[in-house]
Amino acid sequence: MAVSEKKEEELKSIISINGNIDRNNREGLRGWLNPSRYGWERVSYWLQRLTGIFLLVYFIGHVYETSSLTGGLDAWNAMLQLTQTPWGHTFLLLVIGTSTFHSVNGIRLIFTEAGRGIGKPGRPDYPYKAVSLNYRQKSGIWVSLILAALAMLYGASVLFGGD
Amino acid sequence: MIRESQIMKIHYVTGIAALFVVAVHIIMRLIMPFNMSLNYTNVIANYHNIPYALLLESILILIAIHGFNGLRIILLELRQNTFWERGVTFFTLAAMISVIAYGTRTIILASGL
Repeated sequence: MAVSEKKEEELKSIISINGNIDRNNREGLRGWLNPSRYGWERVSYWLQRLTGIFLLVYFIGHVYETSSLTGGLDAWNAMLQLTQTPWGHTFLLLVIGTSTFHSVNGIRLIFTEAGRGIGKPGRPDYPYKAVSLNYRQKSGIWVSLILAALAMLYGASVLFGGD
Repeated sequence: MIRESQIMKIHYVTGIAALFVVAVHIIMRLIMPFNMSLNYTNVIANYHNIPYALLLESILILIAIHGFNGLRIILLELRQNTFWERGVTFFTLAAMISVIAYGTRTIILASGL
């Protein structure tokens, strides 16, 4: 009886004033960014989104940066002076790392959407480890991170290696 | 109205296609020393090469569609109601069209068309 009352209260709490079920992300950004309850799949989930937002900001900046070409040689060189610095190159390294992770992990997600490499659903027993992804999918997350690190190393050799 | 499943297919196709065209764009920067490749005359010569200018336009369109749709997906994960969904879709579409228009302007002016 007490259990069903509690469930009823929980149900009532998710019904909004106009009678519709509140399907909003109730924890907001904090819930979105919290990786602690879901393991590596959750880390991969928000890394994909954070790298995506970062790359979108870079893309817009890059489109603006290259528009200085239309201002002639002086405008282009002035823009290069801003971006071709050690800090600018460090930022580019971040772009290389995040774009590699986003691409490789994105390919893994396409496989997930197609049902490739997904484990069979299991009973949620304590300690409730996520069983949705099998080792191929999980290793895909690691491969994405390793390739991102390797791409950054290669990028560093090009950007800081002289010539 | 396009279904979400169809929008996701567009998202994946633009992502994969962008991967290939961006790879060519990066290779063009690496066929000579990086600093030299950013030389004004070199970059302008790149833009005057029409196939390369078309490649830049395809990168612009593919990444704008993929990026702003990705932003739309993230924003729709945070909140769902008709007003929010319509607002987010309108905002991301407007931003996408603005970035494509601004980038296309640069490509047209720099390629001397």
